Amino acid sequence: MFRNYIKTAFRSLKKNKGFTLINVLGLALGLAICLLIVFYVIDEMSYDRYNLNADRIYRVNNDIKFGGSENSYAVAPAPMAAALQAEFPEVEKAVRFRQNGSFRVKKGNQDIQEHHFIYADPDVFSVFTFPMLSGDPNTALKDPKAVVITERMANKYFNSTNVVGKTLLLDDTVNFKITGVIKDIPKQSHINADFFISMITLAESKEPSWLNNNFQTYILLKPGSDVKVLESKFPKMVKEHVDPQLQNVIHMSYDDFTKTGSYFKLSTIALKRIHLESNMQAELGPNGNIRYVYIFLAIALFILLIACVNFMNLSTARSANRAREVGVRKVLGSARKHLIAQFLAESIMVTMVSTIIALIIAWGLLPIFNQMAGKELSISMQSLVWLVPAVIAIILVIGCLAGSYPAFFLSGFQPIEVLKGKLAAGFKGGFLRSFLVVFQFSISIFLIIGTLVIYNQLKYIQNKDLGYNRSHILVVKNLYALGNQAKTFKDEIKQMPEVANATLTGYTPTMDYRNSNSLFQTATLDVKNALNTQMWYVDEDYVNTLDIKMIKGRNFSKQMLTDSLAMIINESAAKKLGLADPLDKTLYMPLDQQAKHVKGYHIIGIMKDFNFNTLRENVSSLTMVLGEERGALSIRVKSADMPAFVSRVEKQWKSINPNQQFEYSFMDEDFDATYRTEQRMGKIFVSFTSLAIIIACLGLFGLAAYAAEQRTKEIGIRKVLGAGVSSIVAMLSLDFIKLVLISIVIAAPLAWFAMHQWLQGYAYRQNIQWWVIALAGVGAIVIAFVTISFQSIKAALINPVKSLRSE
Amino acid sequence: MLSLKNISKYYQAGGNKISVLNNVNLDVDAGEFVSIMGPSGSGKSTLLNIIGMLDEPSEGYHYFMNEAVHQLKEKSRSALYKEYIGFVFQAYHLIDELTVYENIETPLIYQNIKSAERKALVADMLDRFQIVGKKDLFPAQLSGGQQQLVGIARALITKPRLILADEPTGNLNSKQGEEIMELFRKLNKEDKVTIIQVTHSEKNAEYGSRIIDVLDGKIDSSRNL
Repeated sequence: MFRNYIKTAFRSLKKNKGFTLINVLGLALGLAICLLIVFYVIDEMSYDRYNLNADRIYRVNNDIKFGGSENSYAVAPAPMAAALQAEFPEVEKAVRFRQNGSFRVKKGNQDIQEHHFIYADPDVFSVFTFPMLSGDPNTALKDPKAVVITERMANKYFNSTNVVGKTLLLDDTVNFKITGVIKDIPKQSHINADFFISMITLAESKEPSWLNNNFQTYILLKPGSDVKVLESKFPKMVKEHVDPQLQNVIHMSYDDFTKTGSYFKLSTIALKRIHLESNMQAELGPNGNIRYVYIFLAIALFILLIACVNFMNLSTARSANRAREVGVRKVLGSARKHLIAQFLAESIMVTMVSTIIALIIAWGLLPIFNQMAGKELSISMQSLVWLVPAVIAIILVIGCLAGSYPAFFLSGFQPIEVLKGKLAAGFKGGFLRSFLVVFQFSISIFLIIGTLVIYNQLKYIQNKDLGYNRSHILVVKNLYALGNQAKTFKDEIKQMPEVANATLTGYTPTMDYRNSNSLFQTATLDVKNALNTQMWYVDEDYVNTLDIKMIKGRNFSKQMLTDSLAMIINESAAKKLGLADPLDKTLYMPLDQQAKHVKGYHIIGIMKDFNFNTLRENVSSLTMVLGEERGALSIRVKSADMPAFVSRVEKQWKSINPNQQFEYSFMDEDFDATYRTEQRMGKIFVSFTSLAIIIACLGLFGLAAYAAEQRTKEIGIRKVLGAGVSSIVAMLSLDFIKLVLISIVIAAPLAWFAMHQWLQGYAYRQNIQWWVIALAGVGAIVIAFVTISFQSIKAALINPVKSLRSE
Repeated sequence: MLSLKNISKYYQAGGNKISVLNNVNLDVDAGEFVSIMGPSGSGKSTLLNIIGMLDEPSEGYHYFMNEAVHQLKEKSRSALYKEYIGFVFQAYHLIDELTVYENIETPLIYQNIKSAERKALVADMLDRFQIVGKKDLFPAQLSGGQQQLVGIARALITKPRLILADEPTGNLNSKQGEEIMELFRKLNKEDKVTIIQVTHSEKNAEYGSRIIDVLDGKIDSSRNL
């Protein structure tokens, strides 16, 4: 009996090739997208789970409020790790990390810039699961100037992993001894390092200060201990350690300090949650975002629903064609359950074929998807473990879900009526079908509006006046490599005819050099009117190179020797200070822990605010003083021939130091990189939305075809009575357009609300304009109309003699 | 074999009651070949459908093989006609997606007959109707007469006691029609199958042993030939 079903199903599908194609293709596309998204989501959720102790590892975070601004940091004070281990029995081990820039590594006579350096405490290998191939994990990082490298790096620099005992020369100055080689860290790790340097190498790691936060600190709890209990003991520890130091520096007790509204609050976050849920200052690297995981999952579900709805709609619409078969089978003695089984089998078959095609599509699209999502997903043996059961489940669930309505609907026919041909009107009165079309188009319109809003916001970011000019700026990076000759290099570049100006500093809006500091309006460092602010070291060309406007006062000047103690502040800082005229006032900065020495900076100018952070945040306080900082040289270029210019700059660089790698970028590109997540999301959104619309249209196309077929006789009669082609097209299209209109009414407010929420994440945003919604609505109608009219026109052009001859 | 007592059938259309059959009494004995005649709309097809249990009467008593059909549940009714009745339609109603062989086989599948046995039964039937060479063709590849032949073969495959034929030759030319009627006569005479057919053609009606004339929902006359 089952073979009979399959045979009938197969032949029936073959006979209606167009229908089958639409059905299979729509479902396959939908499933393929779902699979890709599931790949993505599983990858995002699997971060840091490779650690055998993952359930017991926590990072200690620090929420700080001081000088009017509050921030959450992923870093804690240097001595805290030792204190945690000493004071709390729950803590089995505590490990610190410290990121401190990149190094040049010597290979032969070549210097290669490597970025993934991290300082780590010796216990790192007993807390985290970084299996060591050679070397002793317990002692590897005990001594200064020891480094543990990954397999990849060992192969890169020595073509072997058996390199323990060899040395690496860093920055052409210091020899590090290799004490271990570990396996490469999995990609799904928020700790991303190739070189672990022993923490003891870093003098800062031994400082006792509880007021500086620079160390990512992870604790391994003893089995069975409660992290909440541990957290409740934190405030007492903070007070004990911070209080004496606070008294020293700002002559205030911790209690008084908290009375001013300031605080240090320690908390923990589970290791497994860091990648998706943590987005603090000083993370070890950019993390994911659980919101995007949710959004992706929602899109996957939407697309799958649209595809299933297609399937159901097309199957039931086609029911009139199948009705006779149902009638005959019933007369021949088929019970209803047999018919239900038959249609379910058919639907499962279609789903199976679709799933196989979906797998092929997903596999083919994976590289493109990876590029869009910035991932390196692949179908591996590991993924088969979940993929195979998932695919079987998909086939059964979708097959039954999509097939259930046609199965029950079709099998319920009265044989005598269908055999008499009474069911020709099977298409009309399909309330459920209308409902499903509305559902599909609501989702499509929702996605269209979402896409438009995201694109608008991205365009807004692109075009917003940031207060500085980022175009035509070449950024040459890491002038530390040139040592004292950095300044010479700058002067030589400035001499070049194509160059308008150049400034030597790493503190630019697009680089991540930041330095926050507390300045005081009195030399006694009175906390009450402290200014918590960014303080950048720049040169006198900074303001002019970046085209920053001065509102009051003047820029730094080479001629004024006193400018070494001068300061320029931005509008926001001026506002925060609360002074009528901040010009010529002095701000004081403590020079040491005990605040025995202070330095006063004289305000000589106020500049217009410029967005040095992302547009998600408001512009905060910024002060600039003169200082030699060699992180980068930003060059404003007049010439249009950038490649030629870049090679001339490189030549200049090589003439000073031929062994050093020349690294550069363009400021506008760096700026765009800041919004890569959004750009990625935008691209993925557009692709998925297009696919969703294509799938929905496939369904609509099929439905329109059947509607026209069902009404062939009616159309014939109308034509005989004198109806024109246009009136018939209008008649056929109107039914569907009405449904699309209802969809707009449903989807527009929902989309508006959802996207409004999304925009709240930006301090600078383009609010949703009415034309976005209008455009989405009109777009949906036009797309639907074009889809339908193809069928309608075809139907309207049929010679009525043909359609009326049927009986 | 079957007996209809005071059978009436009416529909509600708008506010009006439209009567299709009105107090019909009919007895058919095993081995009879009955032709039902009458003009369009006289109710003959409805009568046939009621006999075949595809339609239910609004009133009256219906006995078939000593069972009171009007008292049976849908399920047992379906079991009853599955066992004893075969249908032949004017429009053949073959399943387009199935081959000749599979079309004939389908009723056996629904009777849960084993595959090997099915094969033997269908092979016999193909042999008997001399359509072995056509067994792998689809209905669309056959002429109308051949299709109706398959339709009859399919009706006979379950060895029914009663064949109900609704204008079996209506879509055929006269030569094909004659062949089908000869076949019916042979089935009736040699295999003792009871046949009730609805027809417009006096000539086809005369193949039977009795002609019943239906007019305006009533049996107008009954002639034995």
